[in-house]
Amino acid sequence: MSGKRTTLMRNQMGRRCLLLLCAATVVVACQRAGERSNASDTAATAASSTASGQNAASHLLVAGDSLRFIEHPENLPAGFPSQTKALLVKNPYEGDKQAISTGGQLFVGYNCLDCHGAEGSGAMGPSFQDGRWHFGGSPGEVFESIYQGRPDGMPAWGGRISNDQIWMLTAYVRSLSSKDLSTENFTGKTVERTGH
Amino acid sequence: MTRAARNVVAILSVAVLTACKVQKSAANDTADTSGPQATSTAAIGTGGPSGARIAVAHAGPPGEWQMPAGDYASSRYSELSSITPQNAANLRVSWAFSTGVLRGHEGQPLVVGNTMYVVTPYPNVSYAIDLAQTGQPLKWKFRPENSQQAIGRACCDVVNRGAAYADGKIFYNLLDGHTIAIDAATGTQVWRTKMGDLSRGETITMAPIVVKGKVIVGSSGGEMGVRGWIAALDAATGKEVWRAYNIGPDKDVKVGPKFKTFYAHDRGKDLGATSWPGDTWKTGGGAVWGWLSYDPALNLIYHGTSNPGPWNENQRRGDNKWTAAILARDGDTGEMVWAFQVTPHDMWDYDAVNENILVDLPIKGQMRKALVHFDRNGFAYTIDRATGEVILAEPFVPMNWSTGVDLTTGRPSVVETKKTAQDKNVKDICPSLEGGKNQQPAAFSPQTGLFYVPTNNLCMDFQARAVTYIAGTPFIGGNAPEKGGPGGYRGEFIAWDATTGKKIWGIKEPYPVWGGALATAGGVVFYGTLDGWFKAVDARNGKVLWQFKVGSGVVGNPVTYTGPDGKQYVAIYAGIGGDMGLLIAGDVAANLPYDVRERGTTLPDIARWTSWGGELFVFSL
Repeated sequence: MSGKRTTLMRNQMGRRCLLLLCAATVVVACQRAGERSNASDTAATAASSTASGQNAASHLLVAGDSLRFIEHPENLPAGFPSQTKALLVKNPYEGDKQAISTGGQLFVGYNCLDCHGAEGSGAMGPSFQDGRWHFGGSPGEVFESIYQGRPDGMPAWGGRISNDQIWMLTAYVRSLSSKDLSTENFTGKTVERTGH
Repeated sequence: MTRAARNVVAILSVAVLTACKVQKSAANDTADTSGPQATSTAAIGTGGPSGARIAVAHAGPPGEWQMPAGDYASSRYSELSSITPQNAANLRVSWAFSTGVLRGHEGQPLVVGNTMYVVTPYPNVSYAIDLAQTGQPLKWKFRPENSQQAIGRACCDVVNRGAAYADGKIFYNLLDGHTIAIDAATGTQVWRTKMGDLSRGETITMAPIVVKGKVIVGSSGGEMGVRGWIAALDAATGKEVWRAYNIGPDKDVKVGPKFKTFYAHDRGKDLGATSWPGDTWKTGGGAVWGWLSYDPALNLIYHGTSNPGPWNENQRRGDNKWTAAILARDGDTGEMVWAFQVTPHDMWDYDAVNENILVDLPIKGQMRKALVHFDRNGFAYTIDRATGEVILAEPFVPMNWSTGVDLTTGRPSVVETKKTAQDKNVKDICPSLEGGKNQQPAAFSPQTGLFYVPTNNLCMDFQARAVTYIAGTPFIGGNAPEKGGPGGYRGEFIAWDATTGKKIWGIKEPYPVWGGALATAGGVVFYGTLDGWFKAVDARNGKVLWQFKVGSGVVGNPVTYTGPDGKQYVAIYAGIGGDMGLLIAGDVAANLPYDVRERGTTLPDIARWTSWGGELFVFSL
């Protein structure tokens, strides 16, 4: 997936979120079925959203594709495009400068920095500065990556730190992706060579 | 020895026969002149006049490569002599093989009989390649179970430094903390033993050796707050026989009646715990991810230990024994016999895991049973391998953190302004945390009496900060941006005289020389560079005789063997990676659409010269 496409999707998602914000629900469902949008917690923490998602999931075990409480737009559906939309989870701290700053401190405090590099430049773990995401870059997907971990060694932080903190980390790492690194052009550069 | 046998085989080819004649005269030349650069250590070769000598014989026939360094002495020297300074310019690629795996190809293949054994980086696939057939078909391919979680727990790429062969089995370690034995003939797994705990950040990247029927392995994870250990497994069954921690109380580190170390300050009860504040030793590092050596005459296993954790020294005041140390352990029981802490209370990430090369050297008119070690901290140590006494220690790369090593104590004098400290940015420390040399192993030639050492020339700023231990995450507490060292080059391949502590010659390289060295009786030394050149140089004077641009940067170690056709072959992995290729050269990957990194400043434009790969190249005349 190209970086541009990822950015585009995020923008679309952002617009959707904006619309849904008008609905004044904290955890917003883009789904017509209102069944799961009754997450009425005013705290707006991920605790509520995730818990409601999980409860919904177990409640809806017989309800087919409704199990998808976090949308993964990068995953292609089987067969014809579905009209059903998954629940879109919103980060209560999206764009919140104070929360992003706190997220940056948590990024250091929980040793994320030593895996993902200073300001997410990439080290043992992948970079966050390239606008590209292995497991999706929407707030819900990033939350999910931190909460449940990923198979390449990303630890699962869910239940270890508060969901509120996970949302702040989500806001922070999403705030880092800005650089377009798609092309690296070496021509015309003077290259320091001493060996040959 | 086998020179006669090889000549018989070579009769098949007039060309090869001619080459052998050339090689003989070249060897004579070398013996007569000893080379203009060889200083006091006369060339001896095998059966030559008395002088420097590798402590332990090559493992198996001279035409094979059965253990990581070719012998227990870690010499990486081969008696094969067909390739000489006179004919090296005629080297060409014989064949190549893609390992199917990208990322850092540290380590080296093995050659046993007519089979070559290759182990890849994670997922640690192994291949047995049939050298006797045209096209080098596989005899078998083995794909181990290997937890994906290991990828994110390994600090410095997902490398593997190779396998060891013994008793019809291939032994190697998996990144996820298992040691396995594979039937060399069939490729079936004989046993598999879990040695490390991924949830605590323990991975395994090192190459084992087999000592008296036991497979010796050690843990990685010095950046993850592990408590480092070395262990022995029964080669027949995989059952753990002993395990020694490198930090903690005497009982755990196996300090007992056999411990008779040279320096007084290293004697005392439970120093592995009491040289740490409180119980900080429990997460103090001291891993064993480097190379192992063994002296059968002294029955001692030699290994280094990694940096103390975390890097922030404020959280672990004290000597932090036995991190950043060279340890000699009993070959049967693992009991510690002597210990030498190379960098007490390390505050620069100067692991002491680099190889320990066992040679007998004439020093000041006396033959000494020596151990030669080129440390991360920039000093080359010549040590008495029976006692742990430092005979000499001299800088082999530009350095400024220490003014020298006090030979009465073995301790370095530290420059006050280069001491790192929490919440301070200490600038321009040389060498950088990658060290004057890192995992890239040196080689020794008894012909010249010289060590051939791939080195780095990097400096760093060091910013230490407080860090909390969280199991399974990095326990580092520091950031250390690197830059090129003085002189405008970032690496140098040098020849070193360990009897005097002097550099004899050097080949400056634009990038750190992260691949290992091979010395041969033909008088040719081989090494590869990070930007992908594989080179043959004259052992006497460092003249580059031949070079070839391989498919990816070299971080592996050359080996040489005699093929079924009687010819001498040289094999090397191409596959940039490791700490240098993954972390420092950020933009060399091309296969990760979700992880596109900015160009690193430490290795400017390395991505212009190479990218990730995973290939074996084999050369011959």
